[in-house]
Amino acid sequence: MEHVDHILIVDDDREIRELVGNYLKKNGLRTTVVADGRQMRTFLESTPVDLIVLDIMMPGDDGLMLCRELRSGKHKATPVLMLTARNDETDRIIGLEMGADDYLVKPFAARELLARINAVLRRTRMLPPNLVVTESSRLLAFGRWQLDTSARHLLDDDGTMVALSGAEYRLLRVFLDHPQRVLNRDQLLNLTQGRDADLFDRSIDLLVSRLRQRLLDDAREPAYIKTVRSEGYVFSLPVEIVGAPA
Amino acid sequence: MNLSMRWPRTLASRLSLIFLIGLILAQALSFGAQYYERYESAKNTMLGNLETDVSTSIAILDRLPANERASWLQQLQRKNYGYLLSEGANGNPMNTDTPEAPIAMTSIKDAIGKDYPMTFTDIPGPRKHFQVHLKLTDGSPLTIDVRPSMVPLSPWLPMMLLGQLALMLACTWLAVRIAIRPLTRLAEAVDTLDPNTHPVLLDEKGPTEVAHAAKAFNAMQARIAAYLKERMQLLAAISHDLQTPITRMKLRAEFMDDCVEKEKLWNDLGEMEHLVREGVAYARSVHGATEESRRTDLDSFLDSLVFDYQDVGKEVQLSGKSATVIDTRPHALRRVLVNLTDNALKFAGAAELLVEKKADGSVSVKVMDRGPGIAEDELAQVMEPFYRVENSRNRSTGGTGLGLAIAQQLALAIGGSLTLSNREGGGLCAELKLRG
Repeated sequence: MEHVDHILIVDDDREIRELVGNYLKKNGLRTTVVADGRQMRTFLESTPVDLIVLDIMMPGDDGLMLCRELRSGKHKATPVLMLTARNDETDRIIGLEMGADDYLVKPFAARELLARINAVLRRTRMLPPNLVVTESSRLLAFGRWQLDTSARHLLDDDGTMVALSGAEYRLLRVFLDHPQRVLNRDQLLNLTQGRDADLFDRSIDLLVSRLRQRLLDDAREPAYIKTVRSEGYVFSLPVEIVGAPA
Repeated sequence: MNLSMRWPRTLASRLSLIFLIGLILAQALSFGAQYYERYESAKNTMLGNLETDVSTSIAILDRLPANERASWLQQLQRKNYGYLLSEGANGNPMNTDTPEAPIAMTSIKDAIGKDYPMTFTDIPGPRKHFQVHLKLTDGSPLTIDVRPSMVPLSPWLPMMLLGQLALMLACTWLAVRIAIRPLTRLAEAVDTLDPNTHPVLLDEKGPTEVAHAAKAFNAMQARIAAYLKERMQLLAAISHDLQTPITRMKLRAEFMDDCVEKEKLWNDLGEMEHLVREGVAYARSVHGATEESRRTDLDSFLDSLVFDYQDVGKEVQLSGKSATVIDTRPHALRRVLVNLTDNALKFAGAAELLVEKKADGSVSVKVMDRGPGIAEDELAQVMEPFYRVENSRNRSTGGTGLGLAIAQQLALAIGGSLTLSNREGGGLCAELKLRG
């Protein structure tokens, strides 16, 4: 029998979790809805799921705490998609730092949630990342650069911030998650399309050249992202996780 | 009438002026009175002496044999007057009855006028100098040569007066300083008053009035901070409580069959959502960014912003290079530029960004469009919250009227300034100036 993805929805608002559950069910996913962290833990004891949709603002244990708990327990490989009520940069950042794979700001459209769920599932299945970034160690270091995975920008060796566009960050993150491994254009395209998949239309080659510029990498003799003829690209330097600066 | 025009502008100089003029007048008055009193008594004593002395001298000379008189002259010589055994020098005859006549003249006349007829002549010269001519009993002439002069002032007196003046100046300066300083400090505190940051409390020490003002100021600061906090909490509460029902409604709408009504409902919900978000964003921007400032490479910052627009198919172009690293709060700066760019896209469909480094080290980022622009008299108002220009009243493009207000607030919060102007050839130019 074909595998049907099982989504666990944790939200304290009964109507929202049922509406979301019904919508996802209608679109071919299996869903379970629970109201809080306690019910979530009980359910996960008996049934593994493919993805958890977690509301941040909940009475009792909030979404951030639950996410951290999931990441440190036996469910650390289960992707988490956060629902955040506030449209505040710091909340977004915290959500991702806690180890969420993606987030969606309330009020959201159900079809957008569906698209995100599918993207996260595809991404984690295709190539699970080698390195798990956590709250306390969220910097990926390579060469003279560090990538801050929560604020989503680069830091050069004297600490100056170099901003990245959304697409540039996603591509660099894909490279850093899979260093020294050849990735073809299809893989890169799929892995990069985390968000706004329908709107993203830049070709991978253009993005790679933009990223090289950003990293001050010489396109003819690149030190970071090397072109593998007729195959794709490879990130040629080792990457390590370092703790966040104090 | 002209007094008000010449009245100095600062309180310090007004107070100094009042103190100084008052003190100098009082001082001059008491000095004058004392001097007059001293002069009068000195004069009386002196004239008394003069009368006795002159009548004695004349009596002696009169009784001496004519050939012995010359040898006595030396002994009868005084500081201001002496005797000559001659007709004396020529001069202008003087009248004893005029008020200008020297007092010494009257005294001499009173002393010996009864016994000896006499004439007075004034000898012209830089100093007062007159002679009294009379005939002794044996008919020989005698002249009293008088050079009246005031009792000389002691040489230390002017020094003393200067010293007093200096003392008055010093006291005035001190008093004015003590009176003005708390006021200046209060004004400075009000100037720098920013309820968003940690309040700078005034020192509640010093004289009673000053301590009272400082306390009142500190209390006012606390009240303003409390109001702002309350407003923030209110906005946040409203927005949070609205987000749940809006989410539910959006989800429900998605179960509806596609129809015009669904489309309309969807748009209304979108508008509500937008207003809630912008409202919170505005409240936050007024409340000041809590974000940390960091060193930011400006060119890559603008590049990434423009690429984000281009990646979703928006017509946004960047020209110019600043080659600058600035210290700024990146989220706030991004929000300012995003709001300006969104505005340009909304009204013109395209936006051009231009970055320039100025000679003084500051950086200017212009966001320009070729849209309808804004009427000159409305340019200042559009940055006020909830203000919408006339042609955007139409709700489909109107927005919340908060975008520019947020941009303006955040621009201030990151130490920049935002100005709007109409471009030559049509369209709007929003210029953000940042310190380098």
